[in-house]
Amino acid sequence: MSKELKYTDAFEELKQIVSDIEDGEISVDELSIKVKRASELIKLCKEKLTSTEEDVNQILKELENN
Amino acid sequence: MSDVPKIFTLQQVVSSIRKTIEERYQQYYWVKAEMHKLNRFASGHCFPELLQKKDGKIVAQIRGTIWNHQFETINKRFIQVVKEPLKEDTTLLMQVKVTFHESYGLSLQIVDIDPNYALGELQRERQETLQKLQKEGLINSNQQLKFPLLPKRVAVISAESSKGHSDFMQVLNNNEWNYSFFTMLFPAYLQGDNAARSIIAQLENIKKVLHHFDLVVIVRGGGGEVGLSCYNDYKLCKAIASFPLPVLTGIGHSTNLTVAEMIAFRNAITPTELGDFLLQAFHNFSMPLKDAIKSIKYYAVATVEDEKIALNNLSKHFKNGAQQSLYNNQQKLIAQSREVGSNVRYNLQHNRQKIERLTQNTLRESVHIFQREREKMELLSTQIPRTIKSTILVQKNLLDNLQHSVEIMDPINVLKRGFSITTINGKTLKVDNKAQKGDEIITKTAIFNIKSTIIDIEEDNE
Repeated sequence: MSKELKYTDAFEELKQIVSDIEDGEISVDELSIKVKRASELIKLCKEKLTSTEEDVNQILKELENN
Repeated sequence: MSDVPKIFTLQQVVSSIRKTIEERYQQYYWVKAEMHKLNRFASGHCFPELLQKKDGKIVAQIRGTIWNHQFETINKRFIQVVKEPLKEDTTLLMQVKVTFHESYGLSLQIVDIDPNYALGELQRERQETLQKLQKEGLINSNQQLKFPLLPKRVAVISAESSKGHSDFMQVLNNNEWNYSFFTMLFPAYLQGDNAARSIIAQLENIKKVLHHFDLVVIVRGGGGEVGLSCYNDYKLCKAIASFPLPVLTGIGHSTNLTVAEMIAFRNAITPTELGDFLLQAFHNFSMPLKDAIKSIKYYAVATVEDEKIALNNLSKHFKNGAQQSLYNNQQKLIAQSREVGSNVRYNLQHNRQKIERLTQNTLRESVHIFQREREKMELLSTQIPRTIKSTILVQKNLLDNLQHSVEIMDPINVLKRGFSITTINGKTLKVDNKAQKGDEIITKTAIFNIKSTIIDIEEDNE
C-alpha cells in the first residue's frame, strides 16, 4: 500500500500545486519553488507509469510463510 | 410326505424380480431428483447417485444409469440450452424407466433430462444468490471500494493456458505508451464444478499478500459459453463481493450476466476489454500529468508576466506620483513663500507704523515731559529764592538768638557784674586744682588782672 500511497500523494500534491498556480494563489516568490516541486512530482508520477518495483519471488515467499 | 421347501437359484429369483418389475413398470416416468454424483466410467456410461433430501436428510436414494450414447445426446442438448454440461449436485427433471438387472440390481435408467428444467433451476440458484447477497448488504460492497489511482499491480486469477489470460496479458504488456504493469497469475479452474472452490481458494491466497496488489482480475475466455453457472455460486459471489480489493471480471460470454459479474467492481465482456480498461486508468493518470505540465508552464509564465506588468505600472505610477508630489510641494512652497513675503511686508509695515507711532508718541511725550519739567523747574526756580530767603531768615533769627545767648554767657559779662575768676598756673581753682600757701594766683576782673601771693588758706566748710 505504501508504494501506492506514494504516487497517490504525489498526484494529489501535484493537483494542489496546479490549482494553486491556476488560481493565482502562488506569489512570484514561491513560484519557482512550486514549479520545481511540481516537476519533481511529475517526474515521479511518470516513472510510476512505466516501472514496477514488485518482486514475484518476494510475494511467493510471503505466500509460503503465511 | 414332508414339505420339502422349493429351492430357487439366485438367477431364478432375480429373474423373477426383473420380470415382475418389467411388468409392473413398463412406462417411462418423469422424476425430479438430485443428481449427487455422475459417476461416469471410462466406457462413457454413467451411474449417477440419485437422491431426494428433506430438511437436509436423504429420504430416498437410488442408483441411476445413463448409457453412453444417451449421455452424449443429453449433454449436447444441455450445453445448447443451459450453457452448462450436466452437473453434479443439481436437481434435475429426468425421464426414467425402472430397470432391474440380474447382475447390477435396481436402477433408474435415465433416457432423457429436461434441460429447461435445469435452466430454471440455475436461474433459481442465481436468483437465490442475488437475494442472499442483497439481504447481507454485500451486493454493492466491492463496487463501493475506491478504485486505485494507478491500477499497476494486478493479481490475475486465470488459467495460464486460457486464451483469455493471454489476451489480457497481451493488452497490458504490449501497450504503445510503455505503461508498466505488475501481474501475477493465481491459477484456478475457471469453469465447471471445481471453479468456484478453486477461485475462492486463490482469493484467500491473494488476501495473504494483499499489500502487493492494487486489484484482482478474473479472466477467462476461449472456453465457449459453457460451465459458467459457477459464477452464480453463492460462496464465490460472497467472496468476491466482500474482497478488500476491487475485483474485476472478464470472463468472456454474451448471455445473461452471472451474479459474479454483476457484483464485481467492474465487468468487462472480454479479457481484452478489461485490459483496455486498465490502460484507460493509466491514461487517466497520465493525462492530468500532461495537463499539469502545460498548465504550470502557462500559468507560471503568465504569473511572471503579470508581475512584470504590475511592476511596470507601479513604477510608472511611482514616477507620476513622485512628480506630482514634487510639483505639489513646489507649489506649496511658492505659495508659502509668497505668503511669508506678504506677511513679512505686512509685518514690516505694521511694525514701521508702530515704530513711527511710537516715535511720534515718544516725541510728543518727551516734549510734554520737557515742558512739564521746565514748568516745574520754572516754578521751582521762582520758589527757591523765596524759600532760601525765609530759610536764611529763620537761620539768622536762630543765630541771633544763639548770639544773644552766647553773649549772655560770656564771662566778661559776668565779670562786668563784679564777679572775678581766679586761676593758678593758668587753670581755674577747683577742688582738683587746689592752691597752696605761697602760690601765686591771678585774679581776673572786668577791668583788671590782679596778681597775688597766697598768705593763708582757710577751708570753707559750709
